[in-house]
Amino acid sequence: MPLVITGKHGNAEVLTAVDDAAEKIGLSPGLALAQARAMHPNIDTVTEDTEADAALLESIADWCLRYTPLVACDASDGLLLDISGCAHLYGGEQELVADLSGWLERAGFSYSLAIAGTIGAAWAAAHYYKPACYACGEERALLEPLSLCALRLPSATAAGLARVGLKRIGDIIDLPRAPLTARFGPEVLRQLDRALGHEHEPLTPRIPVAPYVAEQRFAESIAREEDVLAIIGRLARQLQFALERRGDGARRIELALFRTDGVVRRIAAGTSRPLRDPGEIRALFVERLTALTDVLDPGFGFDMARLSVIITEPCPPEQIGIGSQENEAELCRLVDRLSARLGPHRVRRLTAQDSHIPEVAETALPAQAVDGNAGWPAFRRYRNEIELSPRPLRLLARPEPIEAVAEVPDGPPLRFRWRRALHEVIAAEGPERIEGVWWSEHGGPARDYFRVEDKSGLRFWLFRAGLYRDFTQETAPTWFLHGTFA
Amino acid sequence: MIEQLRQRLPNLQRIPGIEDSPGPLPLGIDAIDTILGGGLMRGALHEIAATGESHFTAAAGFVLGLTVLSASPPRLFWTSEDMALTESGAPHGAGLDAFGLAPERLVTVSAAHRRDLLWAMEEALHCRTVNAVIGEMRAGELDQVAVRRLSLAAAENGALVFLLRAVPPTDASTAATRWIVGAAPSAIVHGPGMPRVAAQLVRNRRGRLGSWILEWSDRDGRFILATHTQPVAVPTLNRPHRQVA
Repeated sequence: MPLVITGKHGNAEVLTAVDDAAEKIGLSPGLALAQARAMHPNIDTVTEDTEADAALLESIADWCLRYTPLVACDASDGLLLDISGCAHLYGGEQELVADLSGWLERAGFSYSLAIAGTIGAAWAAAHYYKPACYACGEERALLEPLSLCALRLPSATAAGLARVGLKRIGDIIDLPRAPLTARFGPEVLRQLDRALGHEHEPLTPRIPVAPYVAEQRFAESIAREEDVLAIIGRLARQLQFALERRGDGARRIELALFRTDGVVRRIAAGTSRPLRDPGEIRALFVERLTALTDVLDPGFGFDMARLSVIITEPCPPEQIGIGSQENEAELCRLVDRLSARLGPHRVRRLTAQDSHIPEVAETALPAQAVDGNAGWPAFRRYRNEIELSPRPLRLLARPEPIEAVAEVPDGPPLRFRWRRALHEVIAAEGPERIEGVWWSEHGGPARDYFRVEDKSGLRFWLFRAGLYRDFTQETAPTWFLHGTFA
Repeated sequence: MIEQLRQRLPNLQRIPGIEDSPGPLPLGIDAIDTILGGGLMRGALHEIAATGESHFTAAAGFVLGLTVLSASPPRLFWTSEDMALTESGAPHGAGLDAFGLAPERLVTVSAAHRRDLLWAMEEALHCRTVNAVIGEMRAGELDQVAVRRLSLAAAENGALVFLLRAVPPTDASTAATRWIVGAAPSAIVHGPGMPRVAAQLVRNRRGRLGSWILEWSDRDGRFILATHTQPVAVPTLNRPHRQVA
C-alpha cells in the first residue's frame, strides 16, 4: 500500500513526503491530503515528526564525520560534506562515494549523492540528477539545463524570473548583470556566482572543527574495552607530537567511536591544566569509561576511532623535577581523574565571592575551573578590616525556618525548635546585622544573626529575618537556622 | 616460585600503620599522647563518630582540628555523601579559615554513593600532596574491604584518613582508633566560648582507652584539655532550699 507522510501547513493537511509506490501512482509532496485521498482512497498516512527527522539527520551527520570533520546539515533532508583533501583517504572521490552509498543502502536509506566544486552546484546536482554524479570542474555544464529553483532561490524570485521567460540557469548565466540585479535583487546573481565558484560560500559545520585530530580505522572492528583504551593511547601519542610542535596543551578531549552500524558514540573528558601526556589522557578515559551509566555498547564493533582536542591552551615545554610544580601537577591529575569519573560538578573548590550575604559570599566551583587563591586573600583583608564576627563551620544550602521564642523583641531566642528537636539557649552572642540586597527587588529583608549555644553545647548560627520595628501584632518575626559551629 | 610468593606474603599481610609509619601526630596533650603511644598514628585510618546526628559538626570540628595540627598548611580532601551535605550543610570557607584551615587548599568531593565516596578517598590517598582525607557519611554499613583498602593506601601515603560518621557505629573496625565525639558546653563569658568537644576513645590499637573534654583554641591552633579548667558541677547560685532552712 502506498505510504505518504503528512504534515500541517497552515490549516491544510498536506503530503510532505511520499514513498516509491505513492510516487508511481502520481502522488507528490505538496499535495493536499484530502485531494490525495480523493485520488487514491487506499493510502497509508503517517503524521510527520520533524524532531525525530532532525535527530535522525544529525545521527547520519555524526556518522559522516568519518569522511570529513566538516559536516553541515542542510535544511531538513540534506547533508553537506566538505571533502577537500579527505577523499584520498578512501582512494579517491569515486571510492568515497561508493563507500558512502554502500553504507546508506545497507542502512535502508534512499538517497541522492553528488560531488561538485561548489556547494551550490553539488546541491543542484544532488536534487536534480539521479543517481550519484560527479561534476568537479564542470559546474557550468551541469547547471545550465537546470531550472532556476536549483539555485536555491526564494520561490517568489524564481516565479518572477519565470514570468519574464527566464526558466533555466543557462538563460541567466550570460545575461548582463546590472539589469538583473536591479530588477530581481542581488540574491540571484550571488547564488549563481556561488554555484559557479566565482564567490566563496562558507560551510558552517554542525560540530566545531577540533584544532587537533587523530584517527584510526580498523580493518577488523574492535569491541573490547581494552582495545579501545589501547587505541586511545596510540591516538594520544599522535596528538602529543602535534601539540608539542605548536606548544599547546589539551583542556578538553573528545573520543568518537564509530560503530559499524552507523551509531557514533562521543565521550568527552576535561582537564584542569593543559595536558599532553598520552598516559594521562588514557587514564582520564579509563575513568570516563568506568563512569558511563550506560555501558559502552559496541554492537557489532567499532570500525573507527577519533580522538580530537576540542579546547586547547598554550602550554610551555615542561620542566621536570621541580618539587612544588611536580606536586601541583599530581594534584591536578587527581582532580582530573575524580572529575572524569564523578563529574566535574562533584569535585569542587571553595571560592570567595564579592558579596556580604553569607550564602552568596562563597561558592563551590568545579575544581578544574578554579586555580590559585580563588579570592581568599581579598576575603581575609576584608575580614580583618571590618572585624567580621565568627562564621559557622558548615552552612546549610538554604536557611531553614525554626520556631523560636525570644525573651526581648530584639534579643536572641530563649529556646527554639529545629528539625523537631527543642534546644534551650544558654548563651548567645549578637546580633550581627546583615543588610539584605536593598538595591534589588529580589533582595530579602535585613537579618540579625546570633551565635547561640544550647544546653548540650551545640552551637548554631540563627537569624531573625527583618527588623523588629517593622513587625506588627499580626506578623510575628520569622527565625531561621543558617549554620552550625564546631 | 612458591618461595617468591612466600616472600611477598608478609608484605601483603602487614597491618597498616603499626610498623614503619612516618611518626605519630602529637595532640599536644600528654594524657592523650601517652595513651596513643606518642600521638595519633599517621598513615592510618581513624574513625570518628558523632554521638548523634546533631553533633556532626562538633565531630567535624574535632577532625579539622587534628588536620590543622597535622601539617602547615594542610592539603585537605573533604569527601562527603550528598545526603550529608544536605543534612548538615556544606563546609563554609570563612568558618574553615577561622579554624586555621586555608580554604584554597581544600578540595571537596561529593559522592552520590558510598562506593564512589570510598573510591574517591582511596584515589586521593594515592596522591602524595594530600595530607589528610576526610570521608563523611551518614548511618549505614561500611564495606570492610574498602575500609581495609583505605588503610593500606593511607599506610603507603603516610597521610591521615578520617572516616567521619554521623552515628556511633556498631560494626567491627579495622581502624587504628575509633572516637565518639560530641559537643560539650563551652566556658561561657558573655556568649559562647571556644568550641569544646567531649571526645571518647573507644578503640585504640596501641593501648588504653579514655575520655576527655577538649577545647579548640583558634588563636594557638591547638587543643587544650578542658576537664580541669571547668568545674565538674556548675556552682548553683540560686538555692531556694537553703533560704527556707
